[in-house]
Amino acid sequence: MQGQKAVWFLVILFLVTLPSLVFAGTTLVFQGYSNPNEQVAQFIQNVLIPEFKKAHPDVDVKYVYIPFAEYMSTILQQAVSNTLPDLVYLDNPWVPQLIDANVLQNIRDYVMKDLGNDFWMDFFPGHRMVTSKDEGIYALQVHTNNLAIFYREGFLQKVGVGKPPKTWEELLDVSRKIKENLNLYGLIFYAGADEAGTWQFEPFLWSNGGSLLELDQKEAIEALAFVAGLVKEGYAPRDVINLKDQGDETIWFMNGQVAMMVNGNWEFGWHLLPDVLEKLGDVRVAPFPVPDAAMRSAILPFGGECVGITTTDAEKSKYAWELIRIWFGEKLEEYYEKWTGHIPTLASYSAKIASIRPEFKVFIDQAAYALPRPPMGGMEKYPDVSNELALALQKALTGAQTPEEAFGQAAKNIKNLFTPEQYEKHKEFARNVLTEVLARTKQQ
Amino acid sequence: MKMPKVSLFLFLLPSLALICAFGIYPIVYNAFLSLKDVNLISYIRGTAQNVGLTNYREVLDDPLFWKALFNTVTFTLLSIVLQMSIGFLLALLFYREFPLKGLFQALVMIPWVMPIMVSGSFFRWFLSDNGFLNNFLTALGWIKEPIRWITTEKMAIYSLTAVNVWLGIPFNFILLYTGIQQIPEELYESADIDGAASWHKVMYITLPMLKPVIVATFILGCILTFKVFDLVWIVTKGGPGGASHLLSTLSYSLAFDRFQFGKSTAVLVLMQIIVVLFISLSNRIRWEER
Repeated sequence: MQGQKAVWFLVILFLVTLPSLVFAGTTLVFQGYSNPNEQVAQFIQNVLIPEFKKAHPDVDVKYVYIPFAEYMSTILQQAVSNTLPDLVYLDNPWVPQLIDANVLQNIRDYVMKDLGNDFWMDFFPGHRMVTSKDEGIYALQVHTNNLAIFYREGFLQKVGVGKPPKTWEELLDVSRKIKENLNLYGLIFYAGADEAGTWQFEPFLWSNGGSLLELDQKEAIEALAFVAGLVKEGYAPRDVINLKDQGDETIWFMNGQVAMMVNGNWEFGWHLLPDVLEKLGDVRVAPFPVPDAAMRSAILPFGGECVGITTTDAEKSKYAWELIRIWFGEKLEEYYEKWTGHIPTLASYSAKIASIRPEFKVFIDQAAYALPRPPMGGMEKYPDVSNELALALQKALTGAQTPEEAFGQAAKNIKNLFTPEQYEKHKEFARNVLTEVLARTKQQ
Repeated sequence: MKMPKVSLFLFLLPSLALICAFGIYPIVYNAFLSLKDVNLISYIRGTAQNVGLTNYREVLDDPLFWKALFNTVTFTLLSIVLQMSIGFLLALLFYREFPLKGLFQALVMIPWVMPIMVSGSFFRWFLSDNGFLNNFLTALGWIKEPIRWITTEKMAIYSLTAVNVWLGIPFNFILLYTGIQQIPEELYESADIDGAASWHKVMYITLPMLKPVIVATFILGCILTFKVFDLVWIVTKGGPGGASHLLSTLSYSLAFDRFQFGKSTAVLVLMQIIVVLFISLSNRIRWEER
């Protein structure tokens, strides 16, 4: 009797679970490097996915977190083993390479049909440049960021400085006063031997008219000499070369070891949260200093993340796009207002967000002069170019080489990465973009 | 009863399959990649071209490779010599009985039980220009300017070696201590009767009896130290200006900072060749001694 009951139980269990096995709903995998406790991941999990599920209750969406340091190697393994997720969240400099590697699917038809050409053209030009190739659109940049000077007003007032530095000369002067009167470092920036080190040097380089592909030219060497001088004079700590990341700068800044730091708007969603700002009481933000007082803004690289579709399955692709459409559609304003320390990539949202979140105004104003990194540094060779620059920067900052020697050698190495024709083509492109933006910064 | 050869092979098959899948295949695949022009795009698209020995030529022409090789050899030899010497002295010390021996023994093991992420991050701060060590020396009045432990090209690799010595002492200590405990007590008693001094007992009993353990510890230590990656990556990322790169960090940087997988694997293959040569040489010396 017992055995018979057990058999019947198993038969019933099989019949009950059969439909769920046969008609299992679609599962969409959304992969990102935003930690589940961070704002962007919280937005994806608590706002975006629930909103999507209202219309598609049978589709399951899983957010999978991979740490930033392992992200690209994971994508690589997944691409080679055909185990890519359906949607990916990507740092913008990776996008051109992943387009060329056929990892990202063309979403132009979706964009044009659901959001329209006006929407696409509303993106700042640099964001369009990074996420598209030829006629295709392969990702959309959800937010951007750039760099400015965070400063402690109290320290500046103590040394009789009423306004934050606007030019390089003023930056030196304020740093000197801080050093001499308060025995503190004036400024901290990040100069690790990686892309973030290059990213923080690019505003000095580009604002002075220097190009990543012409590092042996006067403008580039001057920029390097200026930054190396800050360390040499003791206005910035030599430890900038060994900081863990850009967040490390904020630790120094919050501890009162430095009066100013070069950092990005994401800090308002990371370390400089409202309670910390209230406690410190005197944190302010000023535009990135310029070498020439006639310039309206520094020329900076832009950062920020993009979302793209990797699945080739037609049905999943449709659902993946639906998630992106919701993000860029009905939830975009809420995202910028509440869920991110980043700033808009769309011109029409910029002014509005600047009025709602005044702490972002400086960054939003600078966004009009921000440039994409890969196209300015040889596109697919950008990681190599960036690495050469970061190494040269460290050599100059530690005094192992003079700025001329460091950038002379780096320029030679960078030139060897390309064929002569390729090199000329990329150099010309970068030079033209720089000339145009430099002219724009000096227009009245 | 003699077992048929096929049965013997079947018993070996599971372990052979594991060795082939997780040992030999990655090495062969690595060597295969090192002969191709592999970058992020060509790797994913499967369009990497055969370039023969070009990656090796480019790696060997790069001064950074030679710097990393010099660093790796210096780092390995200095680490091993110092770790083994200190480990041996500690093993001799702990062979005797003294109060709170258990507690001190546990303290010696601390570097081994700390996650490398924690100890690496600690030493990055400890050795920085504004870190604890410089502040401490300044407070004592011993220095006026901070010593640039990890911010000069010349000094960084030696500072990292010192940290690695600290991390590796427990490994050497535990192996040598276990070895010393295996030496028969009677030998020391006979030496005592003959009136041998402590120093003589170490030189003529402990060291000769410990030789197999010392050799094994040396070889294991060399291999483990030769492939150290995490400590250097966490403290200096191979900087400043690439001056503290080891072959392991250089290979990682080529792969994941620059996406030059062909060159990166060429560095790894060269590392493997060096390790194989070293092991063969040490085996030959041991065989000849026998």
